[in-house]
Amino acid sequence: MHAAARSLALILAMALLLLAPIPAGAQLRSVELYAPRPFGHVIGDRLTLSADIVLDVPFQLDPASLPRARPLNYWLELTDVRLTDRGTSGDAQRYALNLTYQIFYAPLEPKRLDIPPLQLLATDGERRVEFVVPGWSFLTSPLREIVSTEQGAAMALRPDAPPPPIPVSGTLRGLLFSLGCVLAALVVLAWHVGWGPFAQRRGRPFARAARAVRAALPSPKTAPSSPAYRQALLSLHRAFDATAGKGVFAEDLPGFFSAHPGFVLVETEIRRLFAASRRLFFGDDLVAATQELPPAELIALAGRLKAVERGGR
Amino acid sequence: MRLARETDSILSDWRDRALRFEAEIGKSVLGQARVIRLLTIATFARGHVLLEGDVGVGKTTILRALARAIGGAFERIEGTIDLMPADLIYHAHLDEDGKPRIDPGPLLKQGEGLSVFFFNEINRARPQVHSLLLRLMAERSVSAFNREYHFPHVQVFADRNRVEREETFELPAAARDRFLMEVQVATPDGEEARRSLVFDPRFHNVDSLLMNVEPGVLEPQALETVARMIQISVRASPTLEAYVLALWDALRDPRDHGVVVEGVDMQRLVQGGASPRGLSYLVRAARVRAWLEGRDMIVPEDVRAVFPEVMAHRIFVDPVYEMRREKLVGELIAGIFARVPAP
Repeated sequence: MHAAARSLALILAMALLLLAPIPAGAQLRSVELYAPRPFGHVIGDRLTLSADIVLDVPFQLDPASLPRARPLNYWLELTDVRLTDRGTSGDAQRYALNLTYQIFYAPLEPKRLDIPPLQLLATDGERRVEFVVPGWSFLTSPLREIVSTEQGAAMALRPDAPPPPIPVSGTLRGLLFSLGCVLAALVVLAWHVGWGPFAQRRGRPFARAARAVRAALPSPKTAPSSPAYRQALLSLHRAFDATAGKGVFAEDLPGFFSAHPGFVLVETEIRRLFAASRRLFFGDDLVAATQELPPAELIALAGRLKAVERGGR
Repeated sequence: MRLARETDSILSDWRDRALRFEAEIGKSVLGQARVIRLLTIATFARGHVLLEGDVGVGKTTILRALARAIGGAFERIEGTIDLMPADLIYHAHLDEDGKPRIDPGPLLKQGEGLSVFFFNEINRARPQVHSLLLRLMAERSVSAFNREYHFPHVQVFADRNRVEREETFELPAAARDRFLMEVQVATPDGEEARRSLVFDPRFHNVDSLLMNVEPGVLEPQALETVARMIQISVRASPTLEAYVLALWDALRDPRDHGVVVEGVDMQRLVQGGASPRGLSYLVRAARVRAWLEGRDMIVPEDVRAVFPEVMAHRIFVDPVYEMRREKLVGELIAGIFARVPAP
């Protein structure tokens, strides 16, 4: 239907072209107008006419001669003018001109309307040649009956069109993907820091030890009992052993620091820890041990060791 | 209280002497600091030592330097396949008048003042000699000429080379158990030490080299008392006792403690050994090491430092693994120290 309408319009246009006076010289090769179907248009429709214009080189279409988008009369508005330069082939210069009109005519019965022809100008710098893009006519159709046969109020407004669904599947996929990324990052962070179910995992012995120290010494202010202080030291020693993969004694500390350089940051405190545990475990001297490393500092050291293990400071 | 302070000051004086003793030996022996430290520990623990190593790494030089630095009477004998116990005790010969004479042999020549008895190439001697030596080491006495000779200050050093196995006699387990330590002497690894040993003419003549060592840094007669004072004054806490017992347990039953040596059936590896005597020697040596480090308590490091030398030769491994014993026992001990937690 549409193709038929276009070819019909083409024939009309050719006819018009033949009828139009041939301008001086043969600078204009052809103007072919392609149009939509010539009937069944209603108020508010947009019609797009496209014209293929072929000029002889070196003539070029003068852009100044193109119409501005504007209301042409009380029912017709030119809403868009778009010119595309299709380049030259041989000695022909081709253009495509797209003209968009909107009609505001409210007919009571089908009525023929005309879109007027357009005057354009071609120039090669000195000579100027006028030519015409032909007009076009079509049938408009009414939107309503002349006399309403409907029940109820005449001229009632039609219900609003339901809002068309906006395509959201792409956005939704993006949202789900980024939520997945956030979740994975959270899991990795929990694994790294040793939260929740990762608290027991291997490779974070100091995190476990820090918890054990806090459990053994709940109130740093009061003097600790011997077993509690022992337990706290022991859990830290087990963490050192697990980190090094073998028993770490005070004499092994230089080797431990070169294998795990991060712990050099707390070297002084670690040495005090080992000195204190020597006094406690092998000298049986709780007082000297707690003087060497008071419980509050022991708890602080456990926290720092945990941070160092995590890679922080 | 006053007595205690006196003990402390005597011990710290002796500690200075022990460090000087090490330094004196170190003058003539390069790159063997660990061996010298172990020999010092053995000297102050009054234990006998068996040195083992390749030919020409300086075993004899170390022992001669040590004997000179200890002071007191020194005797040595070379083990040979035809050496008999009697050769140690008397020496039969014709004197200048052509009359047969019997003189005391190397063991008796110095009388009761003998402080260092050095047995070279002990594995070349026959089991009869080994058993005489066993008695000398265990009881510090021998029977000869219808009476008993006592050597209260004697310390036996023996060496053997581990390369040759022909015409040699393996020491009986009982004799080996009497040695406080079996020390492996290796070629020094320091580049500087190696270069000096090869190129410095000072090291080419052992006799003149040994003249550098100050003789008699220690008094052999006093060593026994000092050793006893060390054993009394260095404490072992209950935690350390538990640790040593755990080590012992792990040595007898490594599988239960998760100790694994690669390519070895852990159930079969250890057949026995690690005697209570061995453990008491271990603690004795650990006490001396703690004292040498200037501490009045044993810490696990002390136990670890002397453990391989004191314990390795007391572990009996399955015959299948006997040929690779040195490596396997070394790995076993390393594994035990890695697995048994201390404190």
